[in-house]
Amino acid sequence: MTAITEDLQLERGGRQRRRQVVNFAIFLGPAIVLTVLFFIIPVIIDVAVSFTDMGRSLQVTGFTTEQYEKIFAGDRRLVEVIGLTLIYVFATLAIFNVTFAVILALVTTATNRLTGNFFRGVWLLPRMSPSVLYILLWIWVINPSEFGLLNQVLMTVLGLETPIDPLNDMPVLLIVIANGFIGASMGMIIFTSAIRAIPEHLFHAARVDGAGGFAVVRHITLPALRWPISFVTIYQTLSLLVSFEYILLLTKGGPFYDTTVYALYIYRRAFQSGQYAYGAALAVFIIALGVIFALLGWRLFDMQKLLQRPRIEVQ
Amino acid sequence: MTRTIIGALAGATLLATPVLAQETVTLELWSRQDTSGPLRPGNVVKAAERLNKELEAEGSDKRVAVEVRESPAPGFDEDALQLLRVFGIGEGPDMFIQAHEWICAFQQEGFVLKLDDYIAKYPEHFGTIFPSLWESAKCPDGIYAIPQDAEARMFFYNKKLLREAGYDDAFIESMPELTMSGELTADDLIEIARTVVDKTDAEYGILHRPSKGPDYLMVFQAYGNEFVDPATGKLLLDRDKLAAAFGWFEKAVKEGVIPGNNTSMEWDAIRAEFYAENNAAFWMYGIWDLGSRAFPTYGLPEDETAFFKDWGWIPMPAATKGGSPSSLTHPVIYAIAADTAEPELAVRLLGHASAVDLNTDHAVSTTHLGIKPEQLDDPRYAEAWPLARATELLKITKFLPNNPQFGDLNGIIYTAMQGVETGRLSAEDAADFVIDEAESSLDDVMVK
Repeated sequence: MTAITEDLQLERGGRQRRRQVVNFAIFLGPAIVLTVLFFIIPVIIDVAVSFTDMGRSLQVTGFTTEQYEKIFAGDRRLVEVIGLTLIYVFATLAIFNVTFAVILALVTTATNRLTGNFFRGVWLLPRMSPSVLYILLWIWVINPSEFGLLNQVLMTVLGLETPIDPLNDMPVLLIVIANGFIGASMGMIIFTSAIRAIPEHLFHAARVDGAGGFAVVRHITLPALRWPISFVTIYQTLSLLVSFEYILLLTKGGPFYDTTVYALYIYRRAFQSGQYAYGAALAVFIIALGVIFALLGWRLFDMQKLLQRPRIEVQ
Repeated sequence: MTRTIIGALAGATLLATPVLAQETVTLELWSRQDTSGPLRPGNVVKAAERLNKELEAEGSDKRVAVEVRESPAPGFDEDALQLLRVFGIGEGPDMFIQAHEWICAFQQEGFVLKLDDYIAKYPEHFGTIFPSLWESAKCPDGIYAIPQDAEARMFFYNKKLLREAGYDDAFIESMPELTMSGELTADDLIEIARTVVDKTDAEYGILHRPSKGPDYLMVFQAYGNEFVDPATGKLLLDRDKLAAAFGWFEKAVKEGVIPGNNTSMEWDAIRAEFYAENNAAFWMYGIWDLGSRAFPTYGLPEDETAFFKDWGWIPMPAATKGGSPSSLTHPVIYAIAADTAEPELAVRLLGHASAVDLNTDHAVSTTHLGIKPEQLDDPRYAEAWPLARATELLKITKFLPNNPQFGDLNGIIYTAMQGVETGRLSAEDAADFVIDEAESSLDDVMVK
């Protein structure tokens, strides 16, 4: 009798464990496979290639540390490139991806639903349009002749005498704006949903207590946005650090090296000069930098605490 | 009796029917999609018919089919880098079309077939190709390619604008002569362009290509930059000569002659400014632009007299009075992969593609120079006056060096030129930049 119960229990236990394994495979398996395929394996390949002499014909004749020696001793462009990258990432983040996104979310939730939805839709357009199309429009906007949209506006409406050439005269500002117009929409959506999730009675209560518009934003809305702002900041920092497709399409990293951010610099070295091993070595540092930024953000914004319990009670 | 007749008939039928099993060899040709030379691959496809007839006549059981693999690369440099990768992963074609200065990069990696013996074996195909053109197909230990065409690069100029700026016809018409004799200098060219910008409505003095390529290297050659040490074949950079050449671009931008943003302009916008809008005095490019764009797209007169009434061209003037002007020719070549299964057939195929009539089709339809003296006798060639006129420049034209790293060096030079024109670098800084970059990213660079 006892033996049968034990057997049954054992069988049940075995079944449970099997189910656990199956559940693990079903629910976490795809994520693990994707992470291994698209993150871990590429990192391993990159580190391996960085210790070779792989050149433009992709042939490896031996293992060497010369790529790293070049990074630390020979590459004079690198300091400028890193400086520019920091300016680009933090300017885009500070001006557009967070600040402007918060403003957009606040403004579009403060007006009536239809107007709010319309303007959010408008701001989502750049993100939804194909990058090449988006940049083609930019190229027309900043065309340095009187036919460019910007110059048409400046010359006919504001009476400017000679056309301006933003690509040549203010390339860094240009890439910040072009990326920011796209980047702002992601924060806008997340912040909007966070604002929408704030129980409405809090606003009414604040109004009854005599709070003005700014006081409501400061004491009710912004505290509720702390977690989404932290998330967007970390996520967008990492995304800006590695993305360069809009810059490549718009300025090709130029004029000269003016808009060559670190990720684009890797691309130029690897794919335009065929120095694949050197590009791989440079990429090792962007991986390290990404991990450092992520950990710093985690620590600075106290993400662990924020992840534990929702700040807002959802009814 | 009947049985005997049937037997005889059957025997005769068997004898008459060829029992040879025909084998079709497919040769793959890598070619960049290029509107300035559609017949480069096109002639190889046509050559297959001729080769197959020849094979049939020889009684061979092989037939050749050509498969063209088109690459969408925007220029030869990008195309060469792409093809090096394709060979690197073992997916290379049997034959390819490239700009000549890249051939030794393929030779260095062991991707391309040495052709000396084949060329000696088929004099009927290769015997009369201009000896000077073979220079563009050579690497240190022999010939690795077959010249496909040649051309000449120059500064086209708009005579209407020069007249409007106050230059008389006698001067305008004598500019080519004055340039060839070294009388008209590089600084004079800037001066003329500046006068046009000052005295007419034209906005630009000189426009050049907005991407990496060969033409602007004429300026560097005029200032004595050879880029390769003749004794060792290694890349050679001379700081002062580089600075002098960059100085010409710096001066041209300062004088308002070359726009500071030339390198970020669009190709079509540049051509339109020069050919259609009368908005630029000079356009630094090459002879084939007449056949591929100026005549068909912008409607410039195709008649020689009508053309030279309002348009003309000069090579890059000498740096100093009495010096030598310079022009570049940039042959495109056919090459064969080292690992092709049928090297003999590929050589014979490219031999037929280099036939006088086929090459003339390419030459006259795209205003490229031919590769054989017999082409000069073809009435179509004689009628294509831009070819005859551009041939005059061959006296002074040079090739780019066939150094495997030259393509990379040119990328550095172009970046530095962009730095100078956009005001990021002085001419001196640009020379230092080129030397620094070359020393850190290329091997065996000699610096003077």
